Amino acid sequence: MTRGVEIKELRKNFVLKRWQGCRRIASEAVAVDGISLKVPEGQSVAFIGPNGAGKSTTIKILTGILHPTSGDVYVAGYIPWRDRRKLAYQIGTVFGQRSQLWYHLPPIDTFDLLSRIYSLKRVDFVRTRDSLIERFALGGFLHIPVRKLSLGQRMRAEVAASLLHRPRILFLDEPTIGLDVIARQELRDLICEWNREEGATVLLTSHDAGDIEQVAERVIVIHHGRIVVDDDVAAVRRRYLGSKILRVQFHETPREIPFRGMKLIERSLHEMKIEIDTSVISAQLAIARVLDAGRVADLSIEDPPLEQVIGRIYSQAAAAGAP
Amino acid sequence: MKEITKYGWIAYITARSHIAYAGEVFTRIVLMTVILYVFSRVWLAVYGVNSGPRLAGLTITQMIWYLVATEAFALSGPRTWYEVEQDVRTGRVAVQLIHPLSYGLTHLGKAMGERIVRFAIYMLAGVVIALAIAGPLRWTASGLAMFLAILPLAFLLDFLGHFLVGLCAFWLESVNGLALIYTRATMLLGGLILPMEMYPAALQPTLRRLPFASMVYAPGRMFVDPSGAVFFKAFWTQAAALIVFLCIVGAVQAAAFKRVFSNGG
Amino acid sequence: MFRTGLDYMGLVVAYTRANIRAQMEYPGAFLSQVIAMIINDGAWVMFWVFFFSRFRVLHGWGLPDVISLWSVTAAGFGIANAIMGNSLQLAPLIIQGELDVWLSHPRAVLPHMLLGRSVPSAWGDAVFGYAAYVFFVRPDLARMVLFIILTFGTALVFVGLGILAGSLSFFIGNASSLADEWRNAVVMFSTYPPALFQGAVKWLLFSVIPAGFVSYMPVEALRSLSLMYASGALLGALGILAVSAAVFHCGLRRYESGNLISFNG
Repeated sequence: MTRGVEIKELRKNFVLKRWQGCRRIASEAVAVDGISLKVPEGQSVAFIGPNGAGKSTTIKILTGILHPTSGDVYVAGYIPWRDRRKLAYQIGTVFGQRSQLWYHLPPIDTFDLLSRIYSLKRVDFVRTRDSLIERFALGGFLHIPVRKLSLGQRMRAEVAASLLHRPRILFLDEPTIGLDVIARQELRDLICEWNREEGATVLLTSHDAGDIEQVAERVIVIHHGRIVVDDDVAAVRRRYLGSKILRVQFHETPREIPFRGMKLIERSLHEMKIEIDTSVISAQLAIARVLDAGRVADLSIEDPPLEQVIGRIYSQAAAAGAP
Repeated sequence: MKEITKYGWIAYITARSHIAYAGEVFTRIVLMTVILYVFSRVWLAVYGVNSGPRLAGLTITQMIWYLVATEAFALSGPRTWYEVEQDVRTGRVAVQLIHPLSYGLTHLGKAMGERIVRFAIYMLAGVVIALAIAGPLRWTASGLAMFLAILPLAFLLDFLGHFLVGLCAFWLESVNGLALIYTRATMLLGGLILPMEMYPAALQPTLRRLPFASMVYAPGRMFVDPSGAVFFKAFWTQAAALIVFLCIVGAVQAAAFKRVFSNGG
Repeated sequence: MFRTGLDYMGLVVAYTRANIRAQMEYPGAFLSQVIAMIINDGAWVMFWVFFFSRFRVLHGWGLPDVISLWSVTAAGFGIANAIMGNSLQLAPLIIQGELDVWLSHPRAVLPHMLLGRSVPSAWGDAVFGYAAYVFFVRPDLARMVLFIILTFGTALVFVGLGILAGSLSFFIGNASSLADEWRNAVVMFSTYPPALFQGAVKWLLFSVIPAGFVSYMPVEALRSLSLMYASGALLGALGILAVSAAVFHCGLRRYESGNLISFNG
């Protein structure tokens, strides 16, 4: 049995009851429409998709909170909704908008309570706890009530709490929502580190491109309950946006550049930002043209931001498969 | 004169919006029904072993109708203490402090609007229930006049009590407990279920002099067994209590506002 | 089996300690709520003191008997909500999806969810219940022991009712006001001597509004030191708890299939 996650033809329909005038109308909404995937142990995966796409539903099914309509699911070898309690020892969950830390108590008290809930041996618990306190830098506010902590501190404590029982798989639902830039980066680093050093599988949902770029190896895009894209992060960026961004700085005003296959995005006196459509013109040819135009002081070529990629995937998928 | 119409208008608006709170009213009517039912059983038992139809001068029918009036008073209490507490909590009070007198009067207008509507509703409900349980009472025009006449000052006194409790929010973190104590004291010492005549003889003189009896017992008594003597006694007690309450409220309000200005609002 | 029992006891202690510590973050508010509740309950007891000083007996029940009703009810209610405070507000937890947090733990959802909160005023009820019983009834050792056991039984009834009322939210949406009304009705009826009620109402009081198991049977057991009534009370309590747990799990299955009326994917 796999130690990671395995999903076969997962389907989930919801029955929505609405009032129309005096009558109750039941309609079926399809939240998940045949998802199949395999996540090997130790991989970090990002689920992205617009609201209502079915990613929260999928995560809830994976964590045993929801029963599917049909399909097979194995998480760490367990069927989530059948063995919810046994599974709970193997997984950690962090809901961005719901906390398992007691609001009026310091995090250390919730940690102690969790050690009892998970029936952790005192010795093991103390070791894990102290290691987490050190790695997540919780020492400074461990004894301060959660209500007095900043959101960044709270999320660090929240993630630490979910790792106390050393789960093999970590589910994170919008973990960086509402955090400032620094806190977000810190949290991403911590999750990354945990994934690398412990070999734990990480599944996260997010709307934030930075989360995905820095934490995930693999991106799964869900739209209308189906998987639209399933690839590693770099490939997604490369394939789904057939373009590169070229920045060039000239020593003096350059000559005219033939812009076939290229689009000028920005221009100041001696600098230019150009988007290259790699399906029309190869990067090599584009660079050659630019070098021809004058004496170049600096030149760089990079992938477009993931935000753009995702936006384009959504609209492509919408155009292609919208029911 | 314009000021009075302004507060009158506030009272009217509040009264109108209050009619929308159907759910709460319904709940309280259910509560009233249960209380009337339970105590009709209690009085049946008590009068069952009593020699003669009267206890302390009242028949069992009168006892049940007494409860209608006192319950209507108890259930129709204003939320002034909560609103004042919120004003203090949110700092809104600083804005309204510009005219301290108007602050009290605004709340008074609101409270009176609420009170009159709710009291009428609960009296109506109580009448229906009591008619079903105990049958009608014989009322006289003069009796009903005394009943209506004893109400205004009773409402006013109760408002001042709630307002005072609310003002304590300047010093206390939460006045929830204080409000509960105030309402309980009013009911217990004012004769919600037992008319004054049935309290221990030793306590009666003191209790009758306290304002609570003039708020709860007096209307109840006027409703079931009106007596000119009791009316005037209660009325003077109300008047005296009014002066005392006004002094206390004035002093507390001044102290409270001083606290606001010294703390910077 | 025994080990799981001990484990659960350990958890109850751990949760209660955490709850108390959380309350102690605001000692002033905690204490004032406790005291306010004691005064609130005390006011009712004072009423009965006045009543019985005038009327001696009610259907053969005297002051100690009615105080016993109050004590058992208050102590049971207090224990229930001091330890399993979430039994008072299961409905909002379910509606807001907070069940998910409890579902992510490797434990049975229901008991852990219930233990997750302590209501401060409930401690007041518990303290009052015990104090009133000791002070007004002056029990012998046997009765005191029986009282303690029976109050835990009553606590189970209240927890069961809370679960039942809250579980309605799985089926009909937000039922918290209905739950509150139901609870208030149960508490109300539990504090009046059962002899007041006859016939159909009596049946009601052992079923839909189980005041019979909250206080009538326990107090009857205490009055006559009857093992039969005591076991009846405890069995009834366990029965109510079992039914409520079953209803909850039925509702939980519905929740887990995602077909709640208010679901947002």
